[in-house]
Amino acid sequence: MKVTVCLGSSCHLKGSKAVVEALQRMAEEHGVSEKLKLCGAFCMGNCTGGVCVKLEEKIFSLCLDNLDVFFEKEIMTRL
Amino acid sequence: MNDLCTDVGYMSVNKFAEQLCGDHVEVVRQDENALVAVLADGLGSGVKASILSTLTAKLISTMVANSLSLKECVEAMAATLPICKTRQIAYSTFTILRIDENLEAELIQFDNPKAILVRGGTSFDYPQTSEIIGDKTIFKSKLQLHEGDTFVAFSDGVEHAGVGLSLNFGWRREEITAFLEAIHDPTRTAKTISAMLLDECRTLYEGKPGDDATVCTVKIRRRTPMNLMIGPPSDPADVNRMMALFFSKEGKHIVCGGTTSTLAADYLKKPLSTSMPCYVAPDIPPTAEIEGVDLVTEGVITINKVLEYARDYAGPNTRYEQWCAREDGASKIACLLFEEASDISFFVGRAVNPAHQNPHLPINFSIKMNLVEELSQCLRQMGKNVKISYF
Repeated sequence: MKVTVCLGSSCHLKGSKAVVEALQRMAEEHGVSEKLKLCGAFCMGNCTGGVCVKLEEKIFSLCLDNLDVFFEKEIMTRL
Repeated sequence: MNDLCTDVGYMSVNKFAEQLCGDHVEVVRQDENALVAVLADGLGSGVKASILSTLTAKLISTMVANSLSLKECVEAMAATLPICKTRQIAYSTFTILRIDENLEAELIQFDNPKAILVRGGTSFDYPQTSEIIGDKTIFKSKLQLHEGDTFVAFSDGVEHAGVGLSLNFGWRREEITAFLEAIHDPTRTAKTISAMLLDECRTLYEGKPGDDATVCTVKIRRRTPMNLMIGPPSDPADVNRMMALFFSKEGKHIVCGGTTSTLAADYLKKPLSTSMPCYVAPDIPPTAEIEGVDLVTEGVITINKVLEYARDYAGPNTRYEQWCAREDGASKIACLLFEEASDISFFVGRAVNPAHQNPHLPINFSIKMNLVEELSQCLRQMGKNVKISYF
């Protein structure tokens, strides 16, 4: 499954790097690194919220605080 | 007009504990193909030496650039320089290098160490004739230049490096020549050569220079065009026109900005690939790839970093190591613009990114426009030809 994290200017400033690293870590912890393909992308045009993360054409606005929930609810249930 | 250009880069270190440098370099570019560079070393050190050398360099460069004869220049200088109270002389040594059509050099030297010419990796001993003007013996040389020819002029502070410390007799001319031959690399810029020589000099002085030391390098190089595009045009109908103009330009192409690179990828009908985000530098967003584009980066944060490097490189050059061999977007742009390019065309789109108008973000439209303006100023200080087109 492909998870795309926005690396545009706006998301970069809001912490794309931390989100990418946290997602990598969570994937390892859950032992799903193999199934999860992390990708980067430039601006997704949805800059007002948090860091944009695209999952199956759906865009989520995330930050480190709600990342756990997102991982459990959206990623783990789809694997 | 040929396809050569002249790259000038100079740097100084001050005598230990002095705030002012007693050496001064002045460069006057008459037009794209002609310039005059003067390196002057004032008597003594500190304020007095600084005034003497600054006056000398300014006077001579202005007069030579306006085609006055050498005799007139030297006489005007003798009549103008303030006389030192303790020594009863007005004195500043100088090296004048005048380059015409990027191919003809005229070298005039008075009491500075003889400038070294490196040609094809080895030093080239050029002929000199002497002329006595007033009480001064002045050496003159005229020669034809080749691509890659590098003149290195320096003040005597460089030759005095290490006297009584690491070297008994200072850094001798043959040793300086050998050092320059050893660091020869056709891709090095004049500024880098000056910085490397001066670094070695500082080491020999063990960090406490006993005299002001200045290096001025003048290198004949081939023109290299470079093109950088940032931002989509303010009128979306102009996208194709902007892209067509940009991609028809000779030289390498750099595309900055997320939306801009998406538009470029569409225009070229190639995919924009960011793949697995790879953070080589934590503060710079990763780069991407488009077939047919030499470098694809994020926009405003990357360029902001490039501007920081540019300000430093045009001035004290203390951060060279931070970008010269790094792989992040900003470092790569810095290498391409500061080192590789001689002529730079900026294609700047004036579209306002609605996402950046958020008051909580430290980026907005006016900042983006200022970045490019400021960056161009720094690049011009480095001696680059810069053109900006707005869309």
